[in-house]
Amino acid sequence: MRWRDPALVGLILALAPIAAASEEAGVSVRDAWVRETPRGVAMTAGYMVLQNKTSRPQVLVAARSSGFETVTIHRTIAKEGMTGMEHAPQIELLPNASLLFAPGGYHLMLSNPKRTLRAGDRVDITLEFRGGLVLPVAYEVRK
Amino acid sequence: MTLFPAPKPLAAFAFTDHENRVFDLSRLRGKWSFLFFGYTHCPDICPTTLATLARAHEDIAKSKAGAKDVQFVFISVDPNRDTAGKLRQYVTYFDAAFLGVTGDNAQLGNLAGQLGAAYQLAITPGIENYPVYHTTAVFLVDPRARYHAVFAPPLDAEGISRRFKVLRELEGPEAT
Repeated sequence: MRWRDPALVGLILALAPIAAASEEAGVSVRDAWVRETPRGVAMTAGYMVLQNKTSRPQVLVAARSSGFETVTIHRTIAKEGMTGMEHAPQIELLPNASLLFAPGGYHLMLSNPKRTLRAGDRVDITLEFRGGLVLPVAYEVRK
Repeated sequence: MTLFPAPKPLAAFAFTDHENRVFDLSRLRGKWSFLFFGYTHCPDICPTTLATLARAHEDIAKSKAGAKDVQFVFISVDPNRDTAGKLRQYVTYFDAAFLGVTGDNAQLGNLAGQLGAAYQLAITPGIENYPVYHTTAVFLVDPRARYHAVFAPPLDAEGISRRFKVLRELEGPEAT
């Protein structure tokens, strides 16, 4: 690993406070990843485990990132024997519960990435909850 | 996997592949073909399925009989956006040997109908990312261009390759 790479060291230092801040709020994310895209492809998806360790429900209302044209909370659904996606305007996380964003289910739909995403890259996406809680999350690009 | 005891011969259809070559019934003869309907603007199910099929292909290639008699075909139901160039970039990312094909609505409906697949495009003027619905099963056509089996989701690479290898063995050279 290129430990002398200043960008890499910067990345590691930057990740530390994010994890700390989210723990403090009681809402956290683990195993956050974004699917690597073929060159020129307009769409990809972000996945994660969203955890609510507070005693109140938390409602995810939006996600944003400067790395994409749009970020939308989506769910893959079955309809008349077919599969499609629908926009989920908000998702309620029950108290002391986790919600899985995984292939075939909930995902962040990420459109028009501003750069080609390669496995190992980091993508920053901010999750916004009702009541003003804002959670910056670092997603790892995976193949 | 659902296996049909009396595989159904497919009727003529005409698509174009990602190299702008004609992709018709004759291209299904002599090979086992795994067919999957999707579209490249699909962020979740399509890349998940193609990655699974790429692993299944790798596994089949490692078998004694190899993968020379196998092809994987991604059929785009979204010809408006999925040009040959786009399809090439997309499918070959997952596996250099994958084929991307598409055709007009009549031809897509023709093959989808023969396989019992469905799709629906909710094209809305001014909306770039219109919703697309499609069947996510993987259809297996035998080397005599007969619809032979279907893999229903959730798909797993190991399950697909294992079952396929057994089926190919059972069918033997007669299938080709």
